[in-house]
Amino acid sequence: MASKADKNDVVRVDFAFKRELAEKVEGDLANYCYQCGACVGDCPASTYSEGAFNPREIMLMVLYGLGDELIREDSILWDCTNCYNCHERCPQQVKPVEVIISMKNMLADRGFAPTAAERVIQTFLASGRTVPPSPAIDKQRAKFGLSPLPQVPMDEIAKILEPAAEEGGAT
Amino acid sequence: MKQFAFFPGCLIPARHPAMEYAIRETLPKLGIEIVDLEGASCCPDPIYFKSKDKVAWLTVAARNLTLAEDLGLDIFTNCSGCTATLSETYHLLHDDGDLRDQVNERLERIGREYRGTSRVRHIATLVRDEVGYDAVRESVVRPLEGLKVAIHYGCHLLKPSRIMNVDNPDNPEVMERLVEALGASPVRHRNWYLCCGKACQDEDIPNQMMHDLLSTVNDEQADLLGMICPTCFGQFDHGQMKVSKLFDEDFHTPPIYYFQLLAFAQGVPLDRLGFERQRFKPECLRRFESTDASVELGSVATSGTGA
Repeated sequence: MASKADKNDVVRVDFAFKRELAEKVEGDLANYCYQCGACVGDCPASTYSEGAFNPREIMLMVLYGLGDELIREDSILWDCTNCYNCHERCPQQVKPVEVIISMKNMLADRGFAPTAAERVIQTFLASGRTVPPSPAIDKQRAKFGLSPLPQVPMDEIAKILEPAAEEGGAT
Repeated sequence: MKQFAFFPGCLIPARHPAMEYAIRETLPKLGIEIVDLEGASCCPDPIYFKSKDKVAWLTVAARNLTLAEDLGLDIFTNCSGCTATLSETYHLLHDDGDLRDQVNERLERIGREYRGTSRVRHIATLVRDEVGYDAVRESVVRPLEGLKVAIHYGCHLLKPSRIMNVDNPDNPEVMERLVEALGASPVRHRNWYLCCGKACQDEDIPNQMMHDLLSTVNDEQADLLGMICPTCFGQFDHGQMKVSKLFDEDFHTPPIYYFQLLAFAQGVPLDRLGFERQRFKPECLRRFESTDASVELGSVATSGTGA
């Protein structure tokens, strides 16, 4: 596995990365990982990338505090299929997929979310939906006797999206 | 009639209205009264929105759940992604008081409070647990005898099982039993367990996965791919064409959302179910339309809509 070591082969633990991850919802669960590898066998992203994506190794990088390997542009974390097999198999309830999603939150904080994610998020912020409403859709719906898509109360959504002061928001 | 709050989400009402039509057509015949939720937003989606900000994701989901709490009803979903978001929110906010306080602090700004009083039910389990397989069978006027349906569960209906509480993820049966209730024969192909790959950002991985999955569906010579998740459905409709071209192989098993198949078995004419918008159309169902019972019921349904 690729590791971040200096010229004396000393691994530098990035504690700021570990602290930031621990602040995210279920971000600290990797601490319970004992590296059994139960998460790997049923991981389709691992199988179909010939091991390039490996949830056990990702958990190990988290334990080692190798933040630079994961929190970067084009991070391998986006290759996760979100199938939840690792969550299902883990005897320690580490929920590797949740740790990965928490790190994706860190990637998004730094503007490293892929275009597909950014597009969906922007659509949500504009309409409260992930598929934008349109006259064409309402016409299709009418064919089935369905009412037009109702408006989402965006004023309410905007109010609850704002983080509280103690979460680092401006409120 | 038992009442349940309907959470339709985004994909089905805004991309596949034919699926919503089928749900609204079939559930009342099974004794379920659909109560629409006013003011609902996207669940929000468990892949992209969740990857942006988990706290915001939980807060928006909790707001949606409070809409059902206001009505004093359990909430049911027709999309495995919505089920994942809402079920996970229900469980996380139940287990973690601090997180619940954090979410409620934000909800207070709009005069709402999440209380955790409405359970989240996926439509498949709603039918299994509140209606029962026998009642589904009794509602069928067009038994789909001899129809082979390869079941694709997808991931989020079943996993994580501790949270979804739907079925045994290693050997589920709910979809098989629901398909059997229509008189059809469920087929479990060798790669039934594979994910559709939609969330993965490296295109090559899902393409290979889809290829292997569709190959084993072909081995079983299934007539249809039985779907319960609208995201998986997209992968297998447009995606099946893409994978065929990419690998220069002939994959052509039409995907069908379970409730459209149920609507057809209950007598709705094939041409009213919106399949013309699919890349792969379930023409194999045409042969079941010739029975007298279906012609009769079809005309009733048509005049009912016109009135």
